[in-house]
Amino acid sequence: MNPDQRAPRLDLRAVSKTFGGTRVLHDVSLDIAPGEVHALVGQNGSGKSTLIKILAGFHEADPGASALVDGRPRSLGDPDDIHDAGVRFVHQDLGLVPALSVVDNLALGHGYARGMGGRINWRRQTAAAEAALRAIGYEVDVRALVEDLQPVERTAVAIARALQSAQGEMSVLVLDEPTATMPKAEVQRLFEIINTVRQQGVGILYVSHHLEEVFELADRVTVLVDGHRVATKRCSELDQRGLVDLMTGGVVDEARQRSTTVPGEPLLALRGVRGAEIVELDLQVLAGEVVGVAGITGSGREELCSLIFGAKPREGRVTVRGRELPALRPHTACALGMALVPANRLRDGIVSGLNVRENANLTTVRRLARHVRIRPRDDRRQAASISTKMSVKAPSLESPIESLSGGNQQKVVLGKWLQTDPHVLLLDEPTQGVDIKAKAEIHHLIDDVASKGVAVLVCSSDEAELERLCDRVLVLRHGRVVSEFNGAEVQTRRLVHTSLGLTS
Amino acid sequence: MKRTIKERSVMTSPTDLPAVGTTVVDPPGVTDPGSGPRGRPAWSAGVLRLDRYSGLYLAVILAVVFSVLLPDTFGTLSNARVIAASSAIAGILTLAVAVSMAAGTFDISLAANMTFSICLLGTLLTSADLPWVLAVILTLLAGASIGAVNALIITRLGVEPIVATLGMSSVLAALSFWVADGQTILLDGVSPTFTEAGQATIATVPITVFYLAAVALVLWFLLEHTPLGRYIYAIGSNPQAAKLAGIKVLRLQSLSLMMTGALAALAGVVLTMQLGASAFGAGAPYLLPAFAATFLGATQILPGRFNVRGTIIALYLLAIAVKGLQLQFPDLPWIKDLVEGTVLIVAVSITARAIRQRRTR
Ligand SMILES: Nc1ncnc2c1ncn2[C@@H]1O[C@H](COP(=O)(O)OP(=O)(O)OP(=O)(O)O)[C@@H](O)[C@H]1O
Ligand SMILES: [Mg+2]
Repeated sequence: MNPDQRAPRLDLRAVSKTFGGTRVLHDVSLDIAPGEVHALVGQNGSGKSTLIKILAGFHEADPGASALVDGRPRSLGDPDDIHDAGVRFVHQDLGLVPALSVVDNLALGHGYARGMGGRINWRRQTAAAEAALRAIGYEVDVRALVEDLQPVERTAVAIARALQSAQGEMSVLVLDEPTATMPKAEVQRLFEIINTVRQQGVGILYVSHHLEEVFELADRVTVLVDGHRVATKRCSELDQRGLVDLMTGGVVDEARQRSTTVPGEPLLALRGVRGAEIVELDLQVLAGEVVGVAGITGSGREELCSLIFGAKPREGRVTVRGRELPALRPHTACALGMALVPANRLRDGIVSGLNVRENANLTTVRRLARHVRIRPRDDRRQAASISTKMSVKAPSLESPIESLSGGNQQKVVLGKWLQTDPHVLLLDEPTQGVDIKAKAEIHHLIDDVASKGVAVLVCSSDEAELERLCDRVLVLRHGRVVSEFNGAEVQTRRLVHTSLGLTS
Repeated sequence: MKRTIKERSVMTSPTDLPAVGTTVVDPPGVTDPGSGPRGRPAWSAGVLRLDRYSGLYLAVILAVVFSVLLPDTFGTLSNARVIAASSAIAGILTLAVAVSMAAGTFDISLAANMTFSICLLGTLLTSADLPWVLAVILTLLAGASIGAVNALIITRLGVEPIVATLGMSSVLAALSFWVADGQTILLDGVSPTFTEAGQATIATVPITVFYLAAVALVLWFLLEHTPLGRYIYAIGSNPQAAKLAGIKVLRLQSLSLMMTGALAALAGVVLTMQLGASAFGAGAPYLLPAFAATFLGATQILPGRFNVRGTIIALYLLAIAVKGLQLQFPDLPWIKDLVEGTVLIVAVSITARAIRQRRTR
């Protein structure tokens, strides 16, 4: 199966995994040749991250699994052994220490620069951290805590950390959805980095829900369906349609379905809004309209929804249905009929510690109570209906939210807000980490919501998503609107170009 | 290598689902809100549900073992009454700890608050000569106000809860001394109905047990069956996400600290009724066992969550273990401290591990 005669850099055999009685991986085997990019695809909850976490030693595999790195058997379940073998990870949502700074996170497992008497040389350490991030094209305040970073910056830190390994030390690089919140331009930069690394003979395991990335980058692709490997194929033998068939067993309907009503009165209006990155922004969203915001990382796109909703301090005026919304008052925003699906799912979206049902009903639990008592049956019924509507795949409604796959957590967060029947819906990276089929479903739900007269604002790093969803798209650059596209002008290519500052 | 769709489990196969279909599979027996991210360990899968009820079984086993070993001292009804009554006051204080922990805050001043309440109540009853019902109400209000001051310091001034309430403990110790002049106050002149309210029995069960039961019932209902309780657990788990779900985090934290203060005062009131005197410094010994039982409680019934039923189980488990060991080894006076200290450390390490696993995912 190898493209050449050398030993595969990674050879995983017969990996199975059972979580509390549910088998989520069945005998999965996978190998990666030197210099190969091997894509791993599958729907939400199909077991991709679980396979990767087993390789990383975070989960223990069921008996019978084995792993060879460069032909040498390594003990699965022992993180140190795998690290010694040169396997490096960029995990979907794990692996960085949120309460530590970027500098500290980069130094973990790599060591600090020492000065006289073994003291940590912070100046050198900081400079090294900045350089490591600049090398992959990101300007990040390296003294900031990782928990305060934007998701894409966090990914950048994880990538920078993986790439810190000395030349020749890295054997395999594993990337679990690195591009979930990455605009196209940055994806291209990441691909250049990956291509450099592969030329050094490193094997790469690449997970993404963006299938065009798979075809652009990967040599082979392995498809997981419900924890079974259904195929490993060369990408040249497949087309996008064929891959979708393997993953979902059916076609995905991506056409827009909106009853084109004339947009109504303005439900959301911004005047002179200013934040950490946004310099000046005026904007109106009408009832029934879907307005998109595009922009590269640092353009202000990432903070817009949080500024409006009151999660971050801002200046300027925001009016919702004619009523002024003061800054930093999320509960007032909710009371005025606004909803925010945040980009930072782990920090702002899910409440780990509560189960799926409690998370799904968090915003509407008051409605489920008669007098003061929550009616258990309504509680369960509503949670079940949300997860059906969003096609959430969960072991049960009573499972901890953190036991759901990333994409399924995202669906719960979305469902929790759609349930509130908002007048103004703010969506920040609404389909991050969601598989293509569920993404199409979510897009249809957004169509429905807009048809019912809700004002929708979508900030997304996925320009194709904006083209699919929006009536109008603003492109931000350096904190200002640089252009606006209407109707048929909204095209992925133009959005990418303008956000980079090129003429469209 | 290639499997056909048909071989796969029918339940989760995506091909036979409609475009927007239920994929919430709910096989019986997998429903487990409390298991850690590594999945439920095999030993807990049985009908006994050891992962949730281990404390209950252990309490029963200990009770039986000590009753067999010590039929004349431990295995008597009067001993059962002593355990029930003495745990009742500790239990109210333990629930006070659980309420603040559930909301993600922390109050170490509650033992000092209890001491202060005892002194205040004694003074109100003797020097101020107030009717006892009024004195009790004022004392409870004072307890709640101390909680409110803690809340102000923590939420408005941004002082870490442990530091704020440690400082408050010291301030309260000073106030207690000032109010009661460092003396135990005898309550001879107070209406006999006051001590009656702490020493009576109902169907041979000490009345304090009913106080604990009432408090537990109210808190259980509040935390597990009302939106307010859902919000309290949410802010205790992820305040940032809770805030963005429109929940008023600071207000709820303040509310739970006030409840904690009022409950600490209630513990002081019940103790005073039971003793018929306001004993100076009586709150302090309750601090450590209350925290031990709270953390142990978070490993029971709803593991990983500070919950009322688990706390009650932990409370009685500790009480039975301590009492049994004390009777078995009467010449080892340090046994109580040893057991409670060990339980605190072990329980905290278990709870902390569960929470850490949650966070690092
Ligand atoms: N700690 C856990 N406890 C119980 N079940 C779990 C746990 N972690 C994952 N699962 C289950 O394992 C299955 C596979 O999850 P996994 O995270 O591997 O999916 P994924 O393919 O990475 O999906 P996504 O594209 O959404 O990231 C899911 O059904 C999930 O609910
Ligand atoms: Mg995943």
